[in-house]
Amino acid sequence: MNRIRKLQGPALILALLALLWIIVILVLLVLKPSVFSLGTVTTILQFSTILALVALGQAIVILAGGAGIDLSVGGIVSLSAIAGMLAMKLGLPSFLLPPACIIAGAALGAFNGVLVTKLSILPLIATLGTFFVYSGLALALTGGAAQSGVPSWLLIWGRGVFSGIPVPFLTIAIPVFAIAGIVLMWTAWGRWIYAMGFNERSARLVGIPVDRARLILYSLSGVLSGAAALISLAWLGSGRPNIGQNLELESLTAAMLGGIAILGGRGGVGGVFAAVMLLVTLKTGLLQLNVNTVWQVGIVGALLVFVLLADRLSQNWR
Amino acid sequence: MRQLRNGVFSLNGREWSLLVACILAIIVFSVASPYYATSGNAGTVLRNSIELLLVGLGMMLLLAMGGIDVSVGVVMGLAAIGVGRALGAGVDPVLTAFVGPLTGALLGLLTAAVIVLGRVPAIVGTLGLLGVYRTAIFVLLGGQWLSGLPTGLTLLLGTTILGLPVAAWVIALAYLAVWIALRRTPFGLHLLAIGNSEEKARLSGIPVVKIRFATFIVSGALTGLAATFYVANYRNVEMTVGSTLALDAIAAVVLGGTSILGGRCSLVGTVLGVLLLRILQNGLLLTGVPSLWQPVVTGSLLIGVLGFEVLSNRLSLSRLGWASK
Repeated sequence: MNRIRKLQGPALILALLALLWIIVILVLLVLKPSVFSLGTVTTILQFSTILALVALGQAIVILAGGAGIDLSVGGIVSLSAIAGMLAMKLGLPSFLLPPACIIAGAALGAFNGVLVTKLSILPLIATLGTFFVYSGLALALTGGAAQSGVPSWLLIWGRGVFSGIPVPFLTIAIPVFAIAGIVLMWTAWGRWIYAMGFNERSARLVGIPVDRARLILYSLSGVLSGAAALISLAWLGSGRPNIGQNLELESLTAAMLGGIAILGGRGGVGGVFAAVMLLVTLKTGLLQLNVNTVWQVGIVGALLVFVLLADRLSQNWR
Repeated sequence: MRQLRNGVFSLNGREWSLLVACILAIIVFSVASPYYATSGNAGTVLRNSIELLLVGLGMMLLLAMGGIDVSVGVVMGLAAIGVGRALGAGVDPVLTAFVGPLTGALLGLLTAAVIVLGRVPAIVGTLGLLGVYRTAIFVLLGGQWLSGLPTGLTLLLGTTILGLPVAAWVIALAYLAVWIALRRTPFGLHLLAIGNSEEKARLSGIPVVKIRFATFIVSGALTGLAATFYVANYRNVEMTVGSTLALDAIAAVVLGGTSILGGRCSLVGTVLGVLLLRILQNGLLLTGVPSLWQPVVTGSLLIGVLGFEVLSNRLSLSRLGWASK
């Protein structure tokens, strides 16, 4: 007990998440021993690739403060996937599909950034508006129908498994998190982001280009969502206009659970990664236990409320 | 202070332009669609506005206080299930009408407990509750629609008192009550003060926690009242009930000139914002735009209005010779 109390900040959060993760796995094993096979592990990692990228974008936007939040991430994932597929239908050569998705994501994220920084609209309202615009556009442009015709070479990458680990997880999720962790911890840019989130006024006074940095961060969140869209295409083999559904809730929960302070300036990407694994394990386990998927949104929502309350209460106790 | 002393019936610039926009939209759609300018359609637009007028009133109070609630759609859904179940069980219709506001107020209390006592940002907290309530709706409905409910509540829409339907009277009373609370009681001053600066309000001795609790409960009750009318109007409750209600309410209220930063609100503007939104949505539908486009239009309207506000503010400031930032 004494040792746990000595753990501080990120280490404490990682320890708690690991504990929770083990509890979830044990409960699942007791309820249904056949749950965990190599196949399940692959599925969990495959699902978590998409959520991990989106949650990372959400985390850096919140981290940079200024009431930062990106409610439109799910909309960006849906719309970039649809935009890429529609562009290909209009004659875009298929080898340009990956950059098309990423560029679409970047543009949609940059639009959020412009609304927040240049027009100084509250992030929660601006991204709430774009959430409905983006996800609405994805549905309206396709009439709700899935777009097929993903090139087969992309499927080989998206569905490939290397010793039990999905290839997209190895080639995108891990490198991206490594880079994000290094940038946040050991570079000046990382310090800037923490400084902005911790105290925006002083950050401005010491000459950090807060607005430009924030615009870039919103665009980066868009890029990560675009990458998540690409992975969904390569995995599922078709562009679904509702693929990003509930991602705003899940990514927020992952970021909060991972120890990102809602007001910014505190938290790291390691916790976010652990939280994503926990969430996806929980979701996959429920799926294996034949629990209706509608329960997932309720459980994730309850988890979000619980984490927020726990964060506040623990601050009161200190 | 000038804001507080504004009369009810003297329209400001924003409200005039909303009125003009409503009239322009009606003219354009009448030309574009032969089905538009009929008395039947006017009735449809007004009937479709009932819920949003009530939910929008609650949302206006929340935004004016610097809060927000993105779970109003599912709160209305849960309250509608309560009303529907009571109606189906053969409870007296007059009593059923009160089930809605009561359920709504209880859910508002729960929301307030999380947001106010937990000191959680309203947007994130209500987003989490949205997920929980959505699942609750699924569990309560058991994957089926609640449909074919008795017609007991239809008298709310059909009966007229002094030439106006009951619904109109209820809405008018709700707005009058809120107007009195805002302009003639300390509650209104306190609410707007919290919206301006919660910290300063607390320091000047305003019971911030109490006022915030009350506002969430009132907003919940108004949303529940909307649920009563929803059941009276449609006589069924489906799984996806209210999925764009929060966006519609926020867009309408912001259109009406209520500040999303808190501290400023407009009752007349809220009514006009709701009407404009519903006129646009109905008109687009009748001119052949698929309903899938509705959230796109509403979302763009919300962002467009806010962007326009900022730009025009900057323009008028720079014209006065002040720095733009």
